[in-house]
Amino acid sequence: MLTYGRLYPAAMSLMAYGWATPAAIGIGLWLISRTSQIPLLHTTILTSAGIIWNLGVLLGVCGILIGDGQPFELLAFPSYSTVILFVAFAMIAVWVLFTAWYARNNKFSLAQCFVILAFVSFPWLFCSANLVLLWHPIQASAQGVVAAWYFGGFNNLWLGAMAIGAMFYLIPKAVDRPIYSETLGQLSFWTFLLFAAWTGMARYIGGPFPAWLVSAGVVASVLALIPTFSIAINIHMTLHGQYRVAGWCPTVRFLAVALFSLVFAAVFAAINALPDVNSVTNFSQVPKAQQILGFYGFFSMVAFGAIYYILPRTYNWEWPCSSLIHWHFWLALAGIILGTVSAFLGGFLQGFALFDIANTFRSSVEFVSPFLFLSMLASFLILASNLAFASQFVLMLLKTGKPKNGPTFLAEPIETSHEPAAV
Amino acid sequence: MNKLTTFIIAIVVVFGLSWVGLVAYPVSTLSHLQPLPDEDTGGAFPPTTSGLAVAGQKVYAANGCVHCHTQQVRFSPLSTDIAKNLGKRQSVARDYIRDHTPFFGSSRIGQDLTNYGVKETDANAIHRHLYEPRSVVEWSSMPSFRYLYNYRKIISQPSAQAIQGLTGPNAPKPGYEVVPSPEAQALVAYLLSLKQNYPLPESPEPTAK
Repeated sequence: MLTYGRLYPAAMSLMAYGWATPAAIGIGLWLISRTSQIPLLHTTILTSAGIIWNLGVLLGVCGILIGDGQPFELLAFPSYSTVILFVAFAMIAVWVLFTAWYARNNKFSLAQCFVILAFVSFPWLFCSANLVLLWHPIQASAQGVVAAWYFGGFNNLWLGAMAIGAMFYLIPKAVDRPIYSETLGQLSFWTFLLFAAWTGMARYIGGPFPAWLVSAGVVASVLALIPTFSIAINIHMTLHGQYRVAGWCPTVRFLAVALFSLVFAAVFAAINALPDVNSVTNFSQVPKAQQILGFYGFFSMVAFGAIYYILPRTYNWEWPCSSLIHWHFWLALAGIILGTVSAFLGGFLQGFALFDIANTFRSSVEFVSPFLFLSMLASFLILASNLAFASQFVLMLLKTGKPKNGPTFLAEPIETSHEPAAV
Repeated sequence: MNKLTTFIIAIVVVFGLSWVGLVAYPVSTLSHLQPLPDEDTGGAFPPTTSGLAVAGQKVYAANGCVHCHTQQVRFSPLSTDIAKNLGKRQSVARDYIRDHTPFFGSSRIGQDLTNYGVKETDANAIHRHLYEPRSVVEWSSMPSFRYLYNYRKIISQPSAQAIQGLTGPNAPKPGYEVVPSPEAQALVAYLLSLKQNYPLPESPEPTAK
């Protein structure tokens, strides 16, 4: 029963709703309380929402495995579990908006802007998409557009916005200096909001949809380079001269990798959205390379960096083992590079064989299969790195090791430490 | 006005634009496409599908076929789909109005299935393929869907539905047979119904080569 067609959507859904979304929620809650200068109040709502959410995910994954899955990417959960997920998330989103309402700072900081955006857009995306695709399905001819809107929105406006918000908060804290330019940040926020929501349709170039919808997706994917570059320049200038902090501070190290992945992923998406390129790469493994880069290289690395920063502060205990952080980082980096490169190269060969009239379908399958094997190795590297992280996390929760005076670094900080004391 | 109110109104306006374009617009237009009358036979394009084929869509969805197989023919000359004989014309929105959910797909690890029912008309051959893909296409990377079939002892008469022509290690032992479950039969009926070989005015067949 457990063929690829069931395991793959189950794994992707677990990645999106079992890891990425809960991580984004946790980081978002911490960021919104921190930046609004309001303590976590009424936590019963949040913890019960968390339990309901996890039950919904469990139910959804079992649903996919027993054959109730839906044929949409990132929307594979059956309708009975998405109702539960929506209720859980709505509780959290309302809580966040109440906190933002009573925010004590006069003007929203950049991090706050991105976090609020994420918490407003996700319920909207999730509710609209589920309503017209699962709960009350519209005619199939129209469903693909909504699914593409959700796919783009989930990646960019939910996970992307949360990760960018976390970067804008954590990088200045970790290197102890303000954001390079607030104005540039505002520009990136509004251009991001404008363009990122439209990018989804670029995956249907030549597909059975009105051409203008697809063109809008192509244009948005290229224009999304504006916010990406402005964010990258802003973060880079904030880090400028302080990159050496990545030598000892886990947060900065993970975030630096995420920054590079963000730029690569956006450039990649823009090039891949050009119709001439897309006619070769679409339906091959190339979009998978983009997914690894965006989902793992960017979002997950930000999430890891943020967790390394946040957890000692909320839990009053330092990370027990710095060598596990080393393993986590290097295995993850190796997995990301191998996974991206093999999917990219294999995808290109496969795409050319699919495109070229002289090549048969068989050659496209044979070209890509050694690269699929490499992708599998990359998945094992990522699995090993995640095991290192998970064991560290458990050791942390058990408060193993001796109490420490300062944070756990990967090496001795050079000169004066730029890690600010826990507030 | 609280600063949050202004901020949220701004987000709603800008993000709402994408919602209008990519949700409200398709819901109001694309989801109300009608079939076109076929004047020669009194039928309609796209033709209606059998109840068994509709049930087969659920089996197709449940087993995640969409993760390896696309069902869309892109236009020429952007793509070579038509030159590679995936179909004679481009797929358009109206082609999908009979489906419950669309299986456009995003990966071609497996063949495109838009016109599978045009190329393959033998139900037994499809059953053999689903039962053990490598017995039909030796380089196939498709998993076997044996769990949709019953391997059972022949009682008095062999079943008329039993798969014929299984050879080598896949052949049932003497006195045994492999019979498709209702799911497998529905799935095959659905696969046989996959045809975009009727004319639609919005998607003329390209003529000049």
